[in-house]
Amino acid sequence: MQRSSWPWRIFKALCLTAISLFFLFPILWVLLMSFQTNADILRVPPSPFFTPTLANYKALIAGELTGAGSTLQIAYMKNILNSFVLSACSVLLSLLLGVPAAYAFARYRFRLGENIAFTLLSFRFAPPLLVLLPLLLYFQELGLYDTYIGLIWVYQLITLPLILWIVRGYFEDVSPDIEHAYRIDGHSWLRSFLKIAVPLARPGIAAAALLAFIFAWNNFVFALILGSSDVQPVTVGALAFITASGIQYGQIAAGLVLSVIPTFVLALVMQRYLVEGLSLGAVKG
Amino acid sequence: MYEKAKDLAEAYVARRLSRRAFIDRMAKLGIGAAAARWALSEATTRALAADYDWQKHKGKTVTLLLNKHPYTDAMIADLDSFKKLTGMDVKYDVFPEDVYFDKVTAALSSRSTQYDAFMTGAYQTWQYGPAGWLVDMNEYIGQAAPNYNWNDVLPNLRASTAWSGVPGAPLGGAGAKQWALPWGFELNSVSYNKRVFDKLGMTPPENLPDMKDKAAKITKDVDGMYGIGVRGSRSWATIHPGYLSGFTNYGAHDFEMVDGKLKAAMNSAAGKQFTELWVAMIKQSGPRNWSTYTWYEVGNDLGAGASGMIFDADILGYFMNGGTKEAGNIAYSAFAAKPGAKQPTPNVWIWSLAMNNFSKQKEAAWYWMQWATSQEHDLFGARKMDFVNPVRQSVWDDETFRDRIAKSYPGYLEQYEASAPGSKIYFTPQPLFFNLTTEWAASLQKMVADEVPVDEGLDQLAESVNRQLASAGLR
Repeated sequence: MQRSSWPWRIFKALCLTAISLFFLFPILWVLLMSFQTNADILRVPPSPFFTPTLANYKALIAGELTGAGSTLQIAYMKNILNSFVLSACSVLLSLLLGVPAAYAFARYRFRLGENIAFTLLSFRFAPPLLVLLPLLLYFQELGLYDTYIGLIWVYQLITLPLILWIVRGYFEDVSPDIEHAYRIDGHSWLRSFLKIAVPLARPGIAAAALLAFIFAWNNFVFALILGSSDVQPVTVGALAFITASGIQYGQIAAGLVLSVIPTFVLALVMQRYLVEGLSLGAVKG
Repeated sequence: MYEKAKDLAEAYVARRLSRRAFIDRMAKLGIGAAAARWALSEATTRALAADYDWQKHKGKTVTLLLNKHPYTDAMIADLDSFKKLTGMDVKYDVFPEDVYFDKVTAALSSRSTQYDAFMTGAYQTWQYGPAGWLVDMNEYIGQAAPNYNWNDVLPNLRASTAWSGVPGAPLGGAGAKQWALPWGFELNSVSYNKRVFDKLGMTPPENLPDMKDKAAKITKDVDGMYGIGVRGSRSWATIHPGYLSGFTNYGAHDFEMVDGKLKAAMNSAAGKQFTELWVAMIKQSGPRNWSTYTWYEVGNDLGAGASGMIFDADILGYFMNGGTKEAGNIAYSAFAAKPGAKQPTPNVWIWSLAMNNFSKQKEAAWYWMQWATSQEHDLFGARKMDFVNPVRQSVWDDETFRDRIAKSYPGYLEQYEASAPGSKIYFTPQPLFFNLTTEWAASLQKMVADEVPVDEGLDQLAESVNRQLASAGLR
């Protein structure tokens, strides 16, 4: 193999650095903003040089936001916790329901099977605004308005189809012969599902779970309409920094950095599965 | 000692004693600030409780839907006095304005009983009221506590929150229902950077041609600063502040009544003359990305020293005079757009309180609304918090409030007093308000972008508005 010349390598490194900077710049800028006061952020022209402050993070963690002339109470840390509870519980419930369903759709042909699968998929592309008002009416009747259970239930519209359709692809990729061999050894259907099918599809399940978690975490409109301040996730809570007396850009940036941490950590932990899982799912064997 | 402090506090609350005299006498009695505040709070509660059964709904809890706003902050800060006065509890959900009205509309259209009362703008009541979602407050105002003094609320604001529901009928006219109680309001005037104006040897603009020239001078002579900040996003909120205030001052109207039906009138000669100047001013000295400008960008630029002046809500200039780079440099001036006009004609935005018609405890909700719009709470907010602009004349006359504003916001009171007589809602009430006004903003954007000349743009707009009125059965 021919080794590339050093000018070419330098050129490649420069290009890579430029592209990385281009894509990472917004994140870097938000990170810098989170250590600035509002006055620093709104300077004209903007400058990357400033005296860093931890005031934005302190305000978020202490739950007190000092604005023009008054102190406001905020519950941003509770919003992060709410987001975590809602997203994690929604994904767990979807895994519990979606993985066996995905297996059934992948392995068996049954009456109206494809129609049911398509109906579940349609939850993903139906605009939430179409169903919100009727849902609100039902939620109020059933006492589900402003409850974790209600929101976790409605989040299934986001997470369940995603998990079902991604995991179905993985089960279809795994040859059924291994399961058949295991069944011939006298094991039950359930054991073959738990001991053979699920472990083989684990990368796909992990990738689907992570994607579903991110989608649930980013949801805004369901929590806005179907919940109040008790169950508000971070996407709705972050709007508290926009007030008539001004936008608290520093706190928004700090809030953004804090809210990215749980998803970021989860993505780091599951990165291996994510890449492997996504590439496996993309190529049908 | 306690009795004397109590008497002094009661005299102060009853306005028989000035703030200075109250502080002096408390000091002479050797009473510290904390004890004086406590005595004041007690006296305020007693004043409210006189001759009215405030404890009638003791033990009940009212639930409120509120917008994230300094008015809300002031109310929450004073909420203990309501709880003490009534023995009631209050729960509230607070949402920022960007999503607030989605939440209100969802709650009301689903006939939710969740919220007993909520904040609203007057324009929104033109949709909510006729739909049967709001309670006509006239029936409750008649049963208010003896010291409620409804007539103390500025008459233009009372009228601006009352409407008969007949498209085109005047606000506050015959058969009008009081859909909401005014709580706090903003009128539109000029807030400017005094440091820059002084440096350039300029006085605040006197009319629109003068504003256009001075904005051009700032853009030309001050590095990194543009002349005039006004809103430009594709939203009804672009039309209602400076634009409609100036438009009205030129003698133009949004609609006229022809044979009892609405007809678009924004393309009148006066409307075209004003809009021509307005568009030219934005093109010459407005922000570069004007078409994205909302309340926030207009305010931020003034506070950050990126714009020389704004023609927008007076309280936006008020907020930018604290905690910003230009804090302390912002000054205020009433503004009549038409040369030789008798007085300014600022259109207003009124944050008001309305009662959910589906509430299961309307009278309890009324108790909270009555307290929140009372003189006592208004005074608390105006003196100690950012509850500006207050809606009661007695609060504007209050010496403590005036001292605070005069000290920290020079020129604000003068601006208010010159603007107030002509301040009211100048839009014609009709149910298509939001759609048609948003189209008006889109039309302005086309004019500024040179996609259409001003007179042609306004003619096209009027034609489209008439078509929509006809298809809605309003023409």
